[in-house]
Amino acid sequence: MSSALERFPPVIRKHRKLRILKRISEDRFLLMLLAPGVVWFVIYRYLPMAGLVIAFKDFSFSKGIFGSVWVGLDNFRFLFFEQSDFYNILRNTLLINTYRLIFSFPAPIILALAINELKSPKLGTFKNIVQTAVYIPHFVSWVIFGGIIVQFLSPSSGLVNQLLGLFGIKPIYFLTDPDWFQTVIVVTDIWKTTGWGAIIYLAALAGVDPSLYDAAEIDGAGSFSQIIHVTLPAIADTIVFIMLLNVGRILMIGFEQIYVLYNPMVYEVGDVISTYVYRVGIGNAQFSLTTAIGLFQSVIGLIMIAASNWASKKWLDRGLF
Amino acid sequence: MKSRMNPTPLRLLNWTFLIIAAFICILPFYYVITVSFSDPTSVKSGELLLYPRGFSLDAYRVILKQKTFYNAFIVTVVRTLLGTAIGLSLQCMVAYPLSRKTMIGRRFFMLFVIFTMLFNGGIIPTYLIVRYTGILNTIWAMVIPDAISAWNVIIIVSFFMTIPDSIIESAKIDGANDISIFTRLVIPLSTPVIMTITLFIAVSNWNSLMDAVIYINKSSLKPLQVYLMSLVMRSDMANMLGSQSEQDLPTLSIQTAAIFTATLPILVMYPFIQRYFIKGVMIGAIKG
Repeated sequence: MSSALERFPPVIRKHRKLRILKRISEDRFLLMLLAPGVVWFVIYRYLPMAGLVIAFKDFSFSKGIFGSVWVGLDNFRFLFFEQSDFYNILRNTLLINTYRLIFSFPAPIILALAINELKSPKLGTFKNIVQTAVYIPHFVSWVIFGGIIVQFLSPSSGLVNQLLGLFGIKPIYFLTDPDWFQTVIVVTDIWKTTGWGAIIYLAALAGVDPSLYDAAEIDGAGSFSQIIHVTLPAIADTIVFIMLLNVGRILMIGFEQIYVLYNPMVYEVGDVISTYVYRVGIGNAQFSLTTAIGLFQSVIGLIMIAASNWASKKWLDRGLF
Repeated sequence: MKSRMNPTPLRLLNWTFLIIAAFICILPFYYVITVSFSDPTSVKSGELLLYPRGFSLDAYRVILKQKTFYNAFIVTVVRTLLGTAIGLSLQCMVAYPLSRKTMIGRRFFMLFVIFTMLFNGGIIPTYLIVRYTGILNTIWAMVIPDAISAWNVIIIVSFFMTIPDSIIESAKIDGANDISIFTRLVIPLSTPVIMTITLFIAVSNWNSLMDAVIYINKSSLKPLQVYLMSLVMRSDMANMLGSQSEQDLPTLSIQTAAIFTATLPILVMYPFIQRYFIKGVMIGAIKG
């Protein structure tokens, strides 16, 4: 009896192997289509992840990523305990992103709600014009947008300071005054990203059955209670989704906006992780040290997204995964 | 339904808000156009230009005469064409197999793509890999390292999944293999999403500054955004334009003319594709 049992497993295994081979051969054309992309992902996304090991090494080009000498946690010890740059860029990154969560995050929701209120077909053209206009800043580069912002904020000829001048306010040096720089970053971020950010909420709102509004109206619900009882529940999933992604990016600030707008006079408040890593890492060839910062940033990002996803599942009953 | 047109105070407030929002978004472009076409002498006087004063193409003449501007413009056109062709093909080729529910290893490959949205090697290790693959300081450094966006792949996958299985199955019964189904059936049925993604990739190639700043050190390969960065942000006029007589023109005129010329291709392309992307993005967003 025991010998009979022993005979079965290899046969089953062989069957499974055959079945897998058969499925691979059935899907061979699909796998062929997939192959170039997979190779790309391995080289340009997964190899850099392996390259993160240089955070624990003293990287030098002559020895390469894998040949360089291990130094354990020396890079992290230096960052955390022996210099203050790290805390400075960490503070700036966290501050700017917190302001963004408070001010930039709700802006597209409000805009989408406002656009969604244009329900009458007679307002269709107006709705189209508004949508086209608010999407435009997304399609313009930060260099160009930044160039325009610099003109607008110029202390001598800028529109903003001329308007302030009408009220007797002295010109403000928005881009070189450390007290103003972070505000400028947050406001210009809202300016450039709100319109495009609204599109995802509008997409969710497009799926709402119009009869729900009619029903609410018959029940005597005013505009505000319609928003609270019909509109907001329809986009709750999307709001949570975007919120979780933003929390996961709490240590990430796009390089281009800061790089375009900052200058040595505001490094103290404007330098963030990405700009610092570029300037010190590539500029001063501090590869290992800045990779350690990058690793710290990525790991915190992963932890934040996992934790907020867990919290959201527990209390809000929805999550990313 | 009529009641929804009545201008109640709340609605008036809402309309005003939207008009102001639209105005604020258009304002910068209005300003750039106004200044760049205005008579340089009134620009020079430093007064605020809220509407065009006179008409002059002098600033455009200066910009279009610049060899460096031309060169940068061509680099950007080339990288955008290459980047869009390669990026779009790769992303669609990855997306189609991932949209086939029965494909072997689908879950694994999906995670393989999505994981790169949550975790990445960061600036320096990516720079080192770009360097080791030998494309540093070539046009490919602006084309290959960001050729695939996981976001775009997800949007394309969700669109492909809306194509009924029955169409694909009947093509299979007729003896078509997956590659010919992909090229002859799926792609032609997916115009909205392909237009949308084409716009996304083209715009991000046209506008990208960071990859050129990090990977390109050769002046003949600097794209338009890097050129504009030195012209507009660092006000490096003397360096960029040399000490020519045209320098009589105010800096602002030349800068705005350069900005407008660099933005024109996008502004021209945008209205044609906009009607597709509302549809394409919406489907992706709802499914995603």
